[in-house]
Amino acid sequence: MAVSDVSAAQTPEGLRPLTATVSARQYLRDIWARRDFTFALPFEELRSSHLDTFLGNVWHLGNPLLSAGVYYLVFAHILNVDRGIDNYIVWLVIGVFAYHLTSSSILGGAKSIDNRQGLMRSFRFPRAIIPISNTIGHLLTFGFQLLVVVLVALGSGVGPSRRWLALPLVLLLHTMLNLGGSFVAARLNDAFRDVEQLIPFVLRLLQYTSGVMFSVDRVLAGDNVWAQRLITLNPIVAILDAYRWMILGNPMRPGALVVAVVESVALLVFGFRFFRAAEHSYGKP
Amino acid sequence: MARGDISVRVRDLHLEYDVFSERRAGLAKRFSTGSGSGRRVVHALKGVSFDVRQGESVGILGSNGSGKSTLFLALAGLLPPTRGEILVRSEPKLLGVGAALMPAASGLRNIRLGCLALGMPADELDEVIEDIVAFTELGEAIERPLKTYSSGMRARLHFAIATAVRPDILLVDEALAVGDKAFRNRSRERIESMLASAGTLMLVSHSMTELSRLCRRGIWLEKGVLRADGPIDDVIELYEATGAADTADA
Repeated sequence: MAVSDVSAAQTPEGLRPLTATVSARQYLRDIWARRDFTFALPFEELRSSHLDTFLGNVWHLGNPLLSAGVYYLVFAHILNVDRGIDNYIVWLVIGVFAYHLTSSSILGGAKSIDNRQGLMRSFRFPRAIIPISNTIGHLLTFGFQLLVVVLVALGSGVGPSRRWLALPLVLLLHTMLNLGGSFVAARLNDAFRDVEQLIPFVLRLLQYTSGVMFSVDRVLAGDNVWAQRLITLNPIVAILDAYRWMILGNPMRPGALVVAVVESVALLVFGFRFFRAAEHSYGKP
Repeated sequence: MARGDISVRVRDLHLEYDVFSERRAGLAKRFSTGSGSGRRVVHALKGVSFDVRQGESVGILGSNGSGKSTLFLALAGLLPPTRGEILVRSEPKLLGVGAALMPAASGLRNIRLGCLALGMPADELDEVIEDIVAFTELGEAIERPLKTYSSGMRARLHFAIATAVRPDILLVDEALAVGDKAFRNRSRERIESMLASAGTLMLVSHSMTELSRLCRRGIWLEKGVLRADGPIDDVIELYEATGAADTADA
């Protein structure tokens, strides 16, 4: 949407068209030029989200810590289940937080265009900034959750490991998937507001088939070869496995990881193009 | 780049958009015909043309729903024309930073955010922020959350942020007559110095006093059509003669 000074043709009087469609390359450059705003938006929102509480910013850490505490209480002491998984609490907390990053990013992405109507009616910027800053916002929240995961892991006797160094790569993979999903959800929901009603159900179905709270290998697939293959195609399973490999040293299927990388990159590229194709329709009255 | 050169050229500008109305057909009809979903096309601008020159200050008049705000959204590049074209020398900026601001954050934090929203790079922020804080004259209130501000204080903050980027073409769709007398005078000085350095001001207002004080030229829009274009006092006279101004808070 933003017009560059270089690419747009000028009239003899030095005038240029106000709205012209820019190339994908120029569009990406415009996004990059607005990077400070893209980060400031979710950062300021996060910073001011607990300002009216007594404990303030402590809640960023307090919230996931309490969640983990509840899981510990319910699963380790009340239900007394481990579903045959070693160190089930850490395993579970990783799954819940990491899956929540995906589900909240995609649902937030769907709603983001509507939430930022005011912004879009006041400022010119590449609209892709809206789902991007939404994804960054959820990533910031996840940062605190990761810290809790590490605390819980250390508390349960899991030592630090060199595998933790893989975190940036795992986050990158995870973010590509979430951002791609957000782009798609954002455009679909802008065209049909009904989508936002459906997404929670899709996300819940995905949660039960992605090995968030129980191992999909054992519970869903068993010895069924086709079910095993299907699970390999779900990128979230591979991403959760990657986090668990990092923290707990659980085995990982390299094949599934490769599939997840390919799928995430493809979703991101497709999502970006899909979102951009409707650039001019976002923010209309 | 001099006074008198054209800074904005609008040619046969049409703007249409869809809205959902409350009345909708039954589900069966919506699926069978694909219509009746309540979508209705609003034709907000119907072939508007004009040129604005550098150093010129133009007041836009018209009753509610005449297309004034839609015209500004189009001029700010926020609504692409359905037909016709808009040519500009530089990107017009809409005075309206309110949408980017966060009520729970302090005035100072909001200045930062507002400047970034206007497209200012982060490394230029520090010096600009100092100027803005000084201009608002909010004193230590600048550290307080925005939601504790009075409407006058908030308006001062908005004006200071929006004019700090020194746009060549400024679109104002809200009252400039905000704050106390001292602040009003200083905001007028800022606008006048902008016009003196070959800037362009376009102002939507229902206050005839403000229009005739700040603008030299007037454009009257009615139902998406340009009704009159000329010296501001003549256009105001014409506008008021039709009785359209009776309902406006002149």
